[in-house]
Amino acid sequence: MKTLRRGLMVGVVGFFLLIPPVGSWAQEKVEADPQAVITLLKEQNRKMSSDLRRIHREIAALRSDLGEPGIKDVAAGVGYIFGLFGVAAYVASRKKNSDSPESSS
Amino acid sequence: MHISDGVLPVSVAVGGYAVSLGLTVWSARKTRNEDMPKLAVMTAAFFVASLIHVPFGPTSVHLIIPGLTGALLGPSAFLSIGLGLLLQSLLFQFGGLTALGVNALMMGVPAIACGWVFQTFKGQTPSRQALVGGVVGAVGTVLAAIILAGFLMTGGEDFLGVAKIALAAHVPVIIIEGAVSALTVGFLARVKPALLLHPSRQAHG
Repeated sequence: MKTLRRGLMVGVVGFFLLIPPVGSWAQEKVEADPQAVITLLKEQNRKMSSDLRRIHREIAALRSDLGEPGIKDVAAGVGYIFGLFGVAAYVASRKKNSDSPESSS
Repeated sequence: MHISDGVLPVSVAVGGYAVSLGLTVWSARKTRNEDMPKLAVMTAAFFVASLIHVPFGPTSVHLIIPGLTGALLGPSAFLSIGLGLLLQSLLFQFGGLTALGVNALMMGVPAIACGWVFQTFKGQTPSRQALVGGVVGAVGTVLAAIILAGFLMTGGEDFLGVAKIALAAHVPVIIIEGAVSALTVGFLARVKPALLLHPSRQAHG
C-alpha cells in the first residue's frame, strides 16, 4: 500500500514536472517556421481572392441572364398586340355597321 | 440599337415624341380596316425579331427588320413599329420610355422610306420583287444606323465616329436582314401577291 501511494505521488509530480519541457517543444516548433506560415497564409489569401473574383464574375453573368426577356414576356407582348388590334377591328366593324342603313346591333 | 434613358437631351426626347406622335396619327389615318390583320402580324413579327441576337465580338446585336416591315405595310409601318417599340420598352426594357419617340423615328422613318422605294421599284416578277425586297431590307437597317448616329450626336458624341461604329457593328445584321427580306418577299410574291400590293391599289375584300 505504501509503495502504491509513493508510486502514485511520483507519477503525479513527474507528470507536472514534464509539462514545461513538452510545452516548450511545441512552442519551439511553431516559432521555428514563422516565414513558412506567412507564405502559406499569403498563398491561401491569393487563392481565395481569385475564387472570389470568379464568383463575382459568375454573379454578374447570372444577373444579366436573369434580365433577358423570357417566353412569358414574348407571350405577353404578342397577346397585347393581337388584343389591341382585335379591339380596334371590333370598333371599326361596329362603326361600319352603324354607318350602313341598318341599325347598330 | 434602341437608345436607353438618359442618353439624349430632354429637348431632343420631347421633340422626338412630338414628331412621332404626329407621324403615328398620320400612319393610323392611312391604315384601312382590311389591313389590320396584316398589321397585327407584322407588329408581332417586329416585336419578336429583336430577340434574335447575332453575336458580334464580346457582345451581340439584334435584328430590327424596319425594311421588311416598311415593304409589307407601307405607311402603316410607323404605327406598327411604334406599338412594337412601346411594348418592347415596357416588357423587356429594350430602350427607355423617354427615348421612345426618338427610337420610333429611328426605326419608323426608314420603314416608311423603304416602303415607298419598294412600291415604286418592285416590278411584276417575283424574282425582281424578291431582289428589291432584299435591297430594301438591307438599306432599312443602314438608314436606321445612320439616324441613330445622328441622334447620338445631339447627346454629344462624334457623329462620324459613332456612325462608323454603328454601321460596322450591324454589318452581319444588315446581311441577314437583306436575306430574310428577300426570302420573305419572294415567298409572298409567289404564294399571295395580294399582300404586297400598294394599299390604295389593293382590291377590297
